[in-house]
Amino acid sequence: MIPQDPEERRALIGEYLLGLLDEQDAAEVQQLLESDESAARMALEWERHFLDLSDQLPAQAPSPALWARIRQSLGLHDAPRASPLSNWWNSLLTWRLTAAALAMALLVAVLMPLLRTPDIAGERYTVVLQEPGEAAKPGWVIQVSSDGTLSLDPLVADQVPDGRALQFWTLIDPADGPRSLGLVEAGQPLRLPAEQIGAVQAGQLFELTLEPAGGSPYNRPSGPVLYIGRAVLASAN
Amino acid sequence: MADRNFDYESTLEACARGDERAFQALYRQEAGQLLGLAISMLGRRDIAEDCLHDAFVRIWQHAARFRRELGSGRAWVHSILRYRVLNALRSGGRYAEVDDEFIERVLDDSPQAEAQALEQSEQRLLRRCLQRLEKPRRHPILLAFYRGLTHEQIASRLSTPLGTIKGRIRAGLRALQECLQA
Repeated sequence: MIPQDPEERRALIGEYLLGLLDEQDAAEVQQLLESDESAARMALEWERHFLDLSDQLPAQAPSPALWARIRQSLGLHDAPRASPLSNWWNSLLTWRLTAAALAMALLVAVLMPLLRTPDIAGERYTVVLQEPGEAAKPGWVIQVSSDGTLSLDPLVADQVPDGRALQFWTLIDPADGPRSLGLVEAGQPLRLPAEQIGAVQAGQLFELTLEPAGGSPYNRPSGPVLYIGRAVLASAN
Repeated sequence: MADRNFDYESTLEACARGDERAFQALYRQEAGQLLGLAISMLGRRDIAEDCLHDAFVRIWQHAARFRRELGSGRAWVHSILRYRVLNALRSGGRYAEVDDEFIERVLDDSPQAEAQALEQSEQRLLRRCLQRLEKPRRHPILLAFYRGLTHEQIASRLSTPLGTIKGRIRAGLRALQECLQA
């Protein structure tokens, strides 16, 4: 039963948004929000105030694979496609870029003998993840290639108890705390693209912790550290 | 990481026109905060990420339904996420008990917290209004918000009769809306 009094109605909508109404009342409010603009406005006002509470929570980095999964579910292709309206503009832009590229190619061809090839390749890093306090018990190895791609490879087959999971973390700045790089399957390699890792620095900490199934409920590791290691510069081209 | 001046309304309108770059910008801007809320409510990262996935799928598919004259774009995005999370909670039950130390702390009454709250926004903040509510009215609202608990679960968590809890939440929300609109 939707109350007529606007203030009672507003309170009811607040309860609906907090998930406190039974199924029947919730269905009525939902219908009201779809059909009544002033009710929809009240709902967004509540939500805007609730943002103040959401913002008290620390942000949590999603697993690197999640964005790709969202795109896949929506059938979006890898390269952002142009909307039909912008085709003409884009084709003009493409033409301009092509002309600019040609001009640049000419310039480079002329100047090339005068210039040394600049060092454009990034640095490569290796991290050996060992059991804490053990110097000679490597469990996993990380390689960061010059294009920034990270690969995590197992050297041992960990036995993970039921209801638990391995979670991969890195610590760039202690002030920011560890950042989750997602869950890892025991004995299975993992590849992460450069944009999910960011620039790796020498000495950067990586670790694997034992967490509840589904990962740590917090924005930080909640279980014991199984393996830990620091990035070592493998080569600077 | 998050940009305070991010234009959520224009970004959603661009999403409605099929602009994938806008969609990606929205994800970069808001996914972390949304995931923080989902994990707080669900107590589990994997299911929270599933909800975040479903929320972003829905945001892209329904961006055209957002209308800026009805309210804030960021609020709209959060309402979609919360709806997914509440559905997951109501259909699957609770997954993990999370300690509520955070809820006790969130309404820190210290002068620094108040100063910070004032600095963050000129408008009346929900937290300031919540601080004026006495704890028996405030606590159930925070348990509903941060943990997605039902009336029954709140009543049992606080060892208070169900009818009392329902009345306190209703009265608490009425007092909040008065404070927010004052």
